[in-house]
Amino acid sequence: MRSKEDISKLLLKNIPILLFVLVFVIFGIFSPKFLSMASFSNIILNSSYVGIIGIGIMFVLLTAGIDLSVGSVMYLASASTGLLIANYHVPTVVGVLGGIAVALLVGLINAFCIIKLEILPFVTTLGTMTAGRAVGTWMTHSESVNLPKTITSLGSQKVLGIPMAIVLFLLIAVIAAVFLSKTQLGRQIYAVGNDPEEARKAGINNKKILFTIYMLCALLAGIGGIISVAQIGIVNAAFGKGEEFNAIAAAVLGGTSLAGGSGKVSGTVLGAVMIQMIQSGLVYMQVDMYIQPLISAGIIFIAVFLDSIRARYMAKAEARNIRNENLANG
Amino acid sequence: MKRLLSILLVATMMMTMLIGCADKKESSDDSSDGGGGGGSKDLTIAFSFEDLETEFWVAAHEIITETLTEEGYKVIELNCQGDANKQFEQVNDALTQEIDGIIMIPVDGDTAVTVTASANEADVPIVIFNRPPTSDDGNNITVVCDNATTAEATVDHMVEQAQAKFDETGKKLTPCILVGDLGDPNAIERKNGFYAAIEKKPDIFNDVIEVPTEWDAATALANLQSAVQANPDIDFIFSSSDFLFPTIQSVVEPLGKWQKIGDPNHIILGGLDGDATAGKLIDEGYVDGTGVQDLFYETDAALKAIVEAVENGDTQPDEVLTDPGFALTQSNLEEKRMDMWGNAVGAEE
Repeated sequence: MRSKEDISKLLLKNIPILLFVLVFVIFGIFSPKFLSMASFSNIILNSSYVGIIGIGIMFVLLTAGIDLSVGSVMYLASASTGLLIANYHVPTVVGVLGGIAVALLVGLINAFCIIKLEILPFVTTLGTMTAGRAVGTWMTHSESVNLPKTITSLGSQKVLGIPMAIVLFLLIAVIAAVFLSKTQLGRQIYAVGNDPEEARKAGINNKKILFTIYMLCALLAGIGGIISVAQIGIVNAAFGKGEEFNAIAAAVLGGTSLAGGSGKVSGTVLGAVMIQMIQSGLVYMQVDMYIQPLISAGIIFIAVFLDSIRARYMAKAEARNIRNENLANG
Repeated sequence: MKRLLSILLVATMMMTMLIGCADKKESSDDSSDGGGGGGSKDLTIAFSFEDLETEFWVAAHEIITETLTEEGYKVIELNCQGDANKQFEQVNDALTQEIDGIIMIPVDGDTAVTVTASANEADVPIVIFNRPPTSDDGNNITVVCDNATTAEATVDHMVEQAQAKFDETGKKLTPCILVGDLGDPNAIERKNGFYAAIEKKPDIFNDVIEVPTEWDAATALANLQSAVQANPDIDFIFSSSDFLFPTIQSVVEPLGKWQKIGDPNHIILGGLDGDATAGKLIDEGYVDGTGVQDLFYETDAALKAIVEAVENGDTQPDEVLTDPGFALTQSNLEEKRMDMWGNAVGAEE
């Protein structure tokens, strides 16, 4: 009886993974080539930059905040890198660091407005989203910025046979997961997201937490932008537009709550890969292009719906366990 | 201190928003008063555009504003940043300022129809540039490229190359099209042009592989990678816009298929727009051809039309001026190279 309960609990707990495998297998049945290692590697490669900015967004969502500026930060960081290398002939490393510095500057502006001036994150980041793109188009005069071979070759470079973008994605995911679960600062992010007032009373410096997460979000958006552009090869003025929504979708699909306090890096990684997998699967199957968005939205809706049911059941089961334990002890 | 900072920031933001929300810039060349171009005409043209995010829009914007200013017109620039509602509001706002004419690059075909109705009601002539209205309602002058014909001409050239390859190898080719945003009539017309050309030689082609791009390089990259993996035989690619050539290169180069014309691994490659990147790749021999929107013809036609309407007092002109476009291919490169706006603008710079 007990083991039956454990199995259903295990199944419930892993609904996102089960759904992921199910979707993968269904696409594989309709298009056998989809079930190859090359295809899977390709899906992870293409989801890497969304996954990275998704992890950044997840940090912000954990505190019940939002960052709409990540798409513009991607554009600014990549365009700055390209311009520094192409126009000022700085070494590649300096160009990349320059791009990252620009991203961090936007993060700093966001953090300053949100913490010091107490402007709502939505309003602040909506402003930096518009201003960031305006600065980017002003810098580039709306012209495409071609990145040098040293950057674009990063897109095809491999480490131990694994594409560099995937290695960076996994590395960032592992560091973020360890940071959230094993460090004091990481655990404090959850506390602030759950109840900022209680967290403050418990001695947590909320401002420090908010500063950290907005800077981290901008940093990851900058890195994500450069990784994406290393694959695409060119930064045009529309680069990064709308990516904030893909990143938020990845985090939410991975179980991150928009109300804050709940979410995992592994979930966000799964969410980013799942979104890309659905898109790739539909292209493999050559589904009518007008139907593709409908199917994609349908699968994502089902995934989020099942996840919300799972969360409710898990919460109920936890409450029941606590009651039973109390009764047994009493 | 915090209060002072807040007040300063809010004041700065308000000022920025006032300037930014209006996104309105008045340009008139003072030096033209009494000299140069056409002199001051005391006439105002509102120029409403979608954004400045492609080289084509940037070049069109520059030619239109500079020419009008040189002619002595006052130009009110309205940048709606891709927002259809904002474009409608901006033009309505301009109509209350006694403008004499409107040139508009609409966000979409529906906005063109709505704004035309407002302009007609205010008795102000309007020219719709490059993106056609979705219906014939109302009176306007529409300047539009025949995207389907231009795409067909380009793909016709690619099909010729495919035929030669088929004759040589006896192996059917696998064509692929990178389709633009399905909400953009130009993207649909280009797709129709592609199919019109492909269907002329059904015997030399396998089924067409369609790759959605939503006019986004990252989406195009991911989807093209999937398509190439699912169909490794793809050896004929038509990109609905030239800006995706670097993306195509990123996908096919690691497979050893980014080769010049003449190499057995060369993918027959074509696009549409006529930008500088395409010009360079055609010169280098990687791209077989591209459909060119004749930017100079289109801007010239739009400017002539609005000037004539304003000066003749024709408040509701109604006409469609079609840019036939042309295909710049390896066959006519010498003769037509500098007719392509991307090459011309590049050379000027």
